[in-house]
Amino acid sequence: MSNMGIVFAILGAALAALLAGAGSAVGVGMTGEAAAGVVTEDPSKFGKVLLLQLLPGTQGIYGLLIAFMTLSQIGVLGGSAEMSLAKGLMYFAACLPMAIVGYWSAIRQARVSVAGIHMVSKKPDQMGKGMIFAAMVETYAILALLVSLLAVTGIGGLNI
Amino acid sequence: MAVLPMKKASICGLQKDRKKILEMLQRRGVVEISDQIEQDSVFSRADMSSAQATFEKNIATATAALSVLDRYATEKKPMLAALQGRQAISVDRYDSFADVREETMKHAYRLCALDRQLEEGRAEIPKLQTQIDGLLPWSGLDVPLHFKGTKTTSCFIGTLPGEWSLQALLERLGELAPDASRVHADIVTADKEQTRIFLLCPQKHAHLLEDALRQLNFARPPADADLVPAERIRQLEDEIQSVRQQLQDAEEEIRQLAAHREDIRFAVDYYQMRAEKYGVIGRLAQSKRTFFVTGYVPQRDTQRLCRELEDQYDAAVYLEDPLPEDDVPVLLQNNKFAEPVEGVLESFSLPGKGEMDPTSVTAIFYYVLFGLMLSDAAYGLMLVIGCGLILLKFKNIEQGLQKMLRMFFFCGISTTFWGIVFSSYFGDVVNVVSRTFFGHEVGIPPLWFTPLEKPMQMLLFCLAIGIVHLFAGLAMKLYQQVKAGQYKDALYDVIFWYMLLGGLILWMLSMQKFADIVQLSFVLPSAVGTVSCIVAGVGAVGIILTSGRESKNPVKRLLKGLYGLYGVTGYLSDILSYSRLLALGLATGVIGSVINQMGSMVGGGAVGAVVFILVFIVGHTLNFGIELLGAYVHTNRLQFVEFFGKFYEGGGRKFDPFAVHTKYYKFREDNENE
Repeated sequence: MSNMGIVFAILGAALAALLAGAGSAVGVGMTGEAAAGVVTEDPSKFGKVLLLQLLPGTQGIYGLLIAFMTLSQIGVLGGSAEMSLAKGLMYFAACLPMAIVGYWSAIRQARVSVAGIHMVSKKPDQMGKGMIFAAMVETYAILALLVSLLAVTGIGGLNI
Repeated sequence: MAVLPMKKASICGLQKDRKKILEMLQRRGVVEISDQIEQDSVFSRADMSSAQATFEKNIATATAALSVLDRYATEKKPMLAALQGRQAISVDRYDSFADVREETMKHAYRLCALDRQLEEGRAEIPKLQTQIDGLLPWSGLDVPLHFKGTKTTSCFIGTLPGEWSLQALLERLGELAPDASRVHADIVTADKEQTRIFLLCPQKHAHLLEDALRQLNFARPPADADLVPAERIRQLEDEIQSVRQQLQDAEEEIRQLAAHREDIRFAVDYYQMRAEKYGVIGRLAQSKRTFFVTGYVPQRDTQRLCRELEDQYDAAVYLEDPLPEDDVPVLLQNNKFAEPVEGVLESFSLPGKGEMDPTSVTAIFYYVLFGLMLSDAAYGLMLVIGCGLILLKFKNIEQGLQKMLRMFFFCGISTTFWGIVFSSYFGDVVNVVSRTFFGHEVGIPPLWFTPLEKPMQMLLFCLAIGIVHLFAGLAMKLYQQVKAGQYKDALYDVIFWYMLLGGLILWMLSMQKFADIVQLSFVLPSAVGTVSCIVAGVGAVGIILTSGRESKNPVKRLLKGLYGLYGVTGYLSDILSYSRLLALGLATGVIGSVINQMGSMVGGGAVGAVVFILVFIVGHTLNFGIELLGAYVHTNRLQFVEFFGKFYEGGGRKFDPFAVHTKYYKFREDNENE
């Protein structure tokens, strides 16, 4: 059991990249389908719908960011990878906000983006508003990113 | 920084000058036409819809002709064609187009006809080919397919289902028609599906043979020519050849007509302008000898417009201030620094009645917030250099694009500044490169601190920026209300909130506990805390008493007041919303570092350098794009939700003048600099 700490820490990092990445993949897939539909009708809207398609993609990147931060903090990317079980569990917990919120917010944001893409197909000049609607959802992914980030960087200094 | 004041202008002119005056108004583009004069016995409106429909049709034809040209005679465009903007055309060139417009439209119609011809020709070839395919198995036959026989003989040409040999066929016929004699049979070709046969018999036995063949499901082939199949095939092949030739000729003709591409483009613009002009003519109030135009003119343009109209023509211009109930359009004017952000404001909403133009304040915060989110000196420089070069090199660039580039130029400057303050250059590329390739690590120290090392301090800084932003929003409201003379509202809606929020913030800063949590290095003396606590209390009481001031019922009023005070939670979430500045700023730097680290994993040496450069270019391009998008979207959000939410309603209608709205050319006014 003495080396279970690192297992949990890696599990956390993996979950952050995995769940947030999966959410973004689903999300960008959904928006991509909608965007392709608009482009069949009017190829000149490509630029606009592409931006809207990309919006749910950021969660995956945030997940990657947290995973990478964790991996580098726990010493998997060079350095010693020894830690207590308690510390490992803490890293695990620290990764959870990004993993879970990342997954759900990406999918929900994708649905808003799809609606935004439909909006752009009828009223191209309203794209800014469509982006803002989607960005509202992303706020919570950003908050989760913030908490995970602060926690992951903070745990290293704790003396447990 | 202003919403331009508008004047209502009524222009009265003589019919003989109508064309000239309208063309001048269109080129000036400073009047938004509105219909205000009722029709009566003297003034009436002319119906211009049929003329307009003709113009629309010409536009559609010319546009279709251009798309034909694009398909068959693709123009070589320079790489950055989109940046070059439209060519300017003088008035003389516009006037001289009248001489060639008939011919140009002829070319356009010819192009459309050629396109149809090409489509039809392309459809014709497979049809002919199918006919050939049907005839090929018969090519051995040396009589036409519908050959029925001679005077004394009858001939059967056709198909039987299945594969037959000559012997089997003759035997079967012998069984079915035993009385028929002297039957001559030939198998033309046979395959698994059908057998093509040629039968000849004396005419008197024809009916016997026909019955027998019917039982075998004999079918005659479709025959459309009096020719021997082989010859017919040759004929069809010749036809295909000639259709191909026609297609080539048509394409060649299209390519030759490409010489008129510019003229056809001009025609699109020309008819566009005329259609718009005729739309206006349809809205004029006209009498036998005079006409009236009414509309809104920005005040700055009125003097020049009046002078020009009254000097050059027998026209009278009457100006008046719009009435309060008039639906006055909005036109903004800002300096070079703030102007680019007008687009952002416009995508939210233009200032409504009585609202001020918040563009300049918005612009300052826009650049600062954008810079904080992207916050990488190298990315910032890329923006500055990229946008700067394009702006310098392409002076003729379209207005909208130019504004956007200018906006990103300023955003880039801010990004560079914050990048240097927080030491981020492509993430940590200086450290990684020096460590991997030169053996000892070198870094550029930050001007202030490194956010990744002191995230709490960075968070506090971001929230502080947020508070400044929100207070600026409240200040805008204060300014607006004071300007409108609503001093009481200003006190109730702004000053009380300032007292409450400012007091609460100062009170928190005076608590040791709060300072411990957020690792603050200073604590305000407790006396300040007490005073600010009292100030906040006064503010809170003020809000409770005044928030429901439109209700007469005291209970309702108190409840509404309490609900108003509950709005403080809104401020809390607004302030916390600025934590995205930290998150996005860190994301840029950390993802940049991840890319650098991945690039350096191969190690030093030549191979390492090549791998590093590849990973560096691909990775940072991606990161730059995604972070740029993120910074743009979230800066907009902070402006729209947090900032505008405090004071701005919008709802104005954009000034849409009667002007030249062309696609391919700009129409320059020759006497612009008089």
